[in-house]
Amino acid sequence: MNILKSVYNWCEVRLGIKELVEKELTGYLLPRNINFWYSMGSIILFIFVMQVLTGILLLVYYIPEADKAFGSVVGIMNRVPFGWLIRMCHVIGSNMMVLFVLFHMLSVLFMGSYKSPRELNWLTGFVLFTLVQALCLTGYLLPWSQLSFWATTVATNSVGAIPHIGQFLVEFLRGGKLVGPPTLGRFYTLHIAVIPILLASVIGAHIFFLERIGVSTPPFGLDNTKNRWQGDAFRYEGHPGGIPFFPNYLLRDMTSIAIYFALLAAVVFFYPNLFFTKDTFIQANPFQTPAHIKPEWYFLANYQTLKLFPNEFIGLSIQGAAMTFLALLPFIDRGNEKHPLKRPLFLASASGGILLFIALMVWGHYS
Amino acid sequence: MNHERRMMKTLIRIGPLLLVMLMTGPGAASNVLAQEEIVCIHCHSSMPGRLGEPVKLWRDSIHAANGIACNDCHGGDPKDVANAMSPARGFLGAPKETAIPDFCGRCHVGVKKDYLQSAHGKALGKGGPTCVTCHSNHLVLKANLDIINEKNCSKCHGFEQARIIREAMQQTESLIVSIGERIDRFKGEGVDTDRLGKGLFSSRNRFHTMFHDLDVEKVKQESTQINVDLNKLAGTLDKIADQRNKRKLAGVWVVGGALLAALICYLLRKTYD
Repeated sequence: MNILKSVYNWCEVRLGIKELVEKELTGYLLPRNINFWYSMGSIILFIFVMQVLTGILLLVYYIPEADKAFGSVVGIMNRVPFGWLIRMCHVIGSNMMVLFVLFHMLSVLFMGSYKSPRELNWLTGFVLFTLVQALCLTGYLLPWSQLSFWATTVATNSVGAIPHIGQFLVEFLRGGKLVGPPTLGRFYTLHIAVIPILLASVIGAHIFFLERIGVSTPPFGLDNTKNRWQGDAFRYEGHPGGIPFFPNYLLRDMTSIAIYFALLAAVVFFYPNLFFTKDTFIQANPFQTPAHIKPEWYFLANYQTLKLFPNEFIGLSIQGAAMTFLALLPFIDRGNEKHPLKRPLFLASASGGILLFIALMVWGHYS
Repeated sequence: MNHERRMMKTLIRIGPLLLVMLMTGPGAASNVLAQEEIVCIHCHSSMPGRLGEPVKLWRDSIHAANGIACNDCHGGDPKDVANAMSPARGFLGAPKETAIPDFCGRCHVGVKKDYLQSAHGKALGKGGPTCVTCHSNHLVLKANLDIINEKNCSKCHGFEQARIIREAMQQTESLIVSIGERIDRFKGEGVDTDRLGKGLFSSRNRFHTMFHDLDVEKVKQESTQINVDLNKLAGTLDKIADQRNKRKLAGVWVVGGALLAALICYLLRKTYD
């Protein structure tokens, strides 16, 4: 006990742990009306850590060569002790990550937390969303299954719709005219090194912005739901009399993370094939096109939108415009009101957008 | 070097576009590659009567399901309309009745041998049946016991002996079908069924060689032996199913543990609040 105390004292005089704990944990106060949706960020961070850990474990046995990749994944699923569990957590975790990033974005949208002075938080969040999608797409090819191969063929084909440079881009992405071993090499590098490093950096920036400006106050349960930011000088949004981060809010986060983990485990153990089709377990065959190749659920709306337009470039442009609008929303929506029920135009547009996204997704699935 | 510099310049120019592409959901696209269509199907499918009929029949055949098209049997050039039926390009046309076993036997080598050794094969050219008598020509059916039926057999002789053979083989057939279905199901769940699939393939082939054998006792003995091998495969499948059930049981504990942890955290927070 004395040794522990001595070690603590040794660190204390050098690092000021007590002050750090006071400032960042027990003295870090959050709004009293904070709700469950504020845990989404912590859940996403937890998923990211799990993805990194399971990804590293998969790297031990995965072979990034076109003729060996599928066999190595089959080996992981069938011969490596608990390999199936690690891979399932990784695959299902990636889908969960997209789902919870969407939940996080929606909660931020509806609670008006993207408004000034949090434009940078929103922008970094938006970049994180696209990076997560890119991470999923590049990871999709790695098992080198029929689904991986043809979904990547379809995905990279869509870039060809861009006038003049489309074909160049397709070949740049694929490393050749067709999806093949060079594509696997590129996607592998992007998936295990480039995108995770970018993602970790942008997560760091996202948390830094949050730390600097403070947690936004939810608009629910308050009389005044207007944005209090003046815009004249930098001001940290403190919450005097609020809930301490430690232990109170951390326990809330832990509750949410444990519920998320139960959900993940339920899918892994009871519905492991929820995100798989039969083509997932057949080795890639460039000479045999499967009958109905569909992208993952989170790309189904994009897929269906492209099908609705006679020209793919128009479809891509419309989606690009919609995404650009969403990314720049804090600069477009300058109103002070944060409560969704007091923003009827926003509420109607956002609800319509969500319904349209879901409808396109369902349509894409059954088309 | 120049090429690399040009590539870099192009990349810098198209950088913003790449970003837009990334934002618009890179997994989305609609132009799934169509399977190459062969010219025989293209022309014959629109022809009336006996010239168009083979295409309709072939579409529902085991050959179509396995990607075996017109030119695989009849030869010719499937990419050139003008020379599709040119003998110079290997077009064989339809074989004469006595040439049918050789025609089919180019691929089904073992089956041809079994057939020629059987009473059916020995009667070739003397009114005996050929491959297409039982298996049909364009609507080629998967070899199974349903082919041995009163309607087919009674075309040439009584059904009694065929019925005894069919009954002797029935259990094996059922085992093969059920094991095949279980293997397919496990394969669709990511289980490595390669070894099991090969085992079933081997047993199924042994079983199919008996289809052309008319010796009842031999069929009974061979069926019993094949059943032993099939039961071994079924045992392995049972073990896999058992292992998957154990995983579900472990899942109950993991999900339960996570929910309990959530409850403890919730109650702890309530004490602090």
